[in-house]
Amino acid sequence: MNKLENIPVQAKSDKKRTNPLARVFDELIQFCQSRSMFMLHYCTGCGAIELPPAMTSRFDMERLGIQPMVTPRQADILLVTGYVSVKTLKRVLLTYEQMQSPKYVIGICSCTVNGGMYWQSYATAKVLNEYMPVDVYIAGCMPRPEAVIAGLRRLMSNIENGKGDAWKDYYKRYDYYLGNQQHLFGDDWQTPVDVIGEAKFYGLEGEETYGEHTKILEQHQEPLEAQVMRVKL
Amino acid sequence: MTSITSITEILAELLLMPMIAFICGLVMVLMYRKIAARLQRRIGPPFFQPVYDIVKLYSKDTQISHGLIHDIGIVVAVGGYVAAVILLPIPGMDGIADKGGIITLSYFLMIPSLGMALGVGQCANPNGSIGISRALTAMLAYDIPFIIVVFGVATHYQSTSLVGMIEYQQAHQWGIFEMPLLAAAGLFTLQGMMGKHPFEIYVAPAEIATGPMVEMSGKFMGGLFVMQSFQFYVASVLYVSLFLGGGSSWFDFLLKIFFVVEIPMSISFLFPRYRTEDMVRIMWKWPVMAALIGIAFVI
Repeated sequence: MNKLENIPVQAKSDKKRTNPLARVFDELIQFCQSRSMFMLHYCTGCGAIELPPAMTSRFDMERLGIQPMVTPRQADILLVTGYVSVKTLKRVLLTYEQMQSPKYVIGICSCTVNGGMYWQSYATAKVLNEYMPVDVYIAGCMPRPEAVIAGLRRLMSNIENGKGDAWKDYYKRYDYYLGNQQHLFGDDWQTPVDVIGEAKFYGLEGEETYGEHTKILEQHQEPLEAQVMRVKL
Repeated sequence: MTSITSITEILAELLLMPMIAFICGLVMVLMYRKIAARLQRRIGPPFFQPVYDIVKLYSKDTQISHGLIHDIGIVVAVGGYVAAVILLPIPGMDGIADKGGIITLSYFLMIPSLGMALGVGQCANPNGSIGISRALTAMLAYDIPFIIVVFGVATHYQSTSLVGMIEYQQAHQWGIFEMPLLAAAGLFTLQGMMGKHPFEIYVAPAEIATGPMVEMSGKFMGGLFVMQSFQFYVASVLYVSLFLGGGSSWFDFLLKIFFVVEIPMSISFLFPRYRTEDMVRIMWKWPVMAALIGIAFVI
């Protein structure tokens, strides 16, 4: 079950939709997506300290329908709360690629915007949206819970108006993002998720999905296989 | 002619009863989250939050399926509860309750855990495997007192039919007054059956990343959310039918089921969780003891 063709899920097609209520359903779905966001917080750096007050009794995110989830499979939003070192960025990317679309990324703190106080550091990835599409940035060092909630409300209104589709950018311009990743991690960088295969399967390919960087990837790419579970005795 | 009307009546009931169960279950999920919020001095989610969650999960654009058994497992998990719902009499509708009886029902209540075990097994995620092994151990823990309680109740009423039990209770006295020990053991078992704190070890979000749900995305998670709402409903209606005299009217019935389901929910946020072996120990000690003494009184 490692080949994408075998996955028994229908892809969205560009067929003309005949249902007269299609628009109504779309709006309903967008509304529900904006009112129910499961959040995966990747707590790097100091911004994480502002999330507990935003979640608990003082500011209570749950009244907006935002609740924490623990695995990337279940989550909709990836919160990156602080500076991302090169080593951390690999983990953030693995997490991001495992999430199911539509998925949103929020960069909290100045460090994700432009490196912040780590601007001169050699070990820190400065601009987060060079490596993955970011929906909303919340600047500040660190932003207060009010600012975090304002940012989440901004994301909600974006989704409701149909603008929250930055995740498609990762498939459409995969070459660009992969190039930046390879620049940091070296040419043999490969994640377990076959992004190009997914883009093909779901019909999300763009002109920049393929390029010089994906060619490098194809040279090094090892075929995906199920990991064999062994018990060492 | 009468047979045709009775068949259409039963078919309508088979459709209506799961729908009622689903709506009641959604309100129960909302109540669960609201109680959690109030105990933590928060406002809590808006009224339609469970609906938003389920619609959103079913409308995800990409899904990861780990294979056929993964898909079927979720269907079995939800289907087990849907099958259990049509065996539970509600005011005005008996479904096939008079043909099934409580023994069939207690078999049906095991199907969801087994279905989930099938589905999670194919995910090959270590956290999921740990979670489901804990869930099945927990099922073993609460099923022993549950079966003893069911046996005691059936002995007392001299019947295995839920319809008969409810009629007897409405004519005479509620079961909770006639067999208080069995009712107490049943309430204890309910806490385990609903998988709430302190018997929530198989979910354990911070330790094993929600256990069985770890690889569930989109529609699969949506299926589990639907399953949870059915689970609340089935557990509470079963308890109401056994001990609180079922429902004579809709008002009465809804009041009772929401009262019953509210007790474990309120308890659940006041305790940390037991480990699996402690859960087995406590479940096989106190409720079993209470239920056995209760049976001795009944016989």
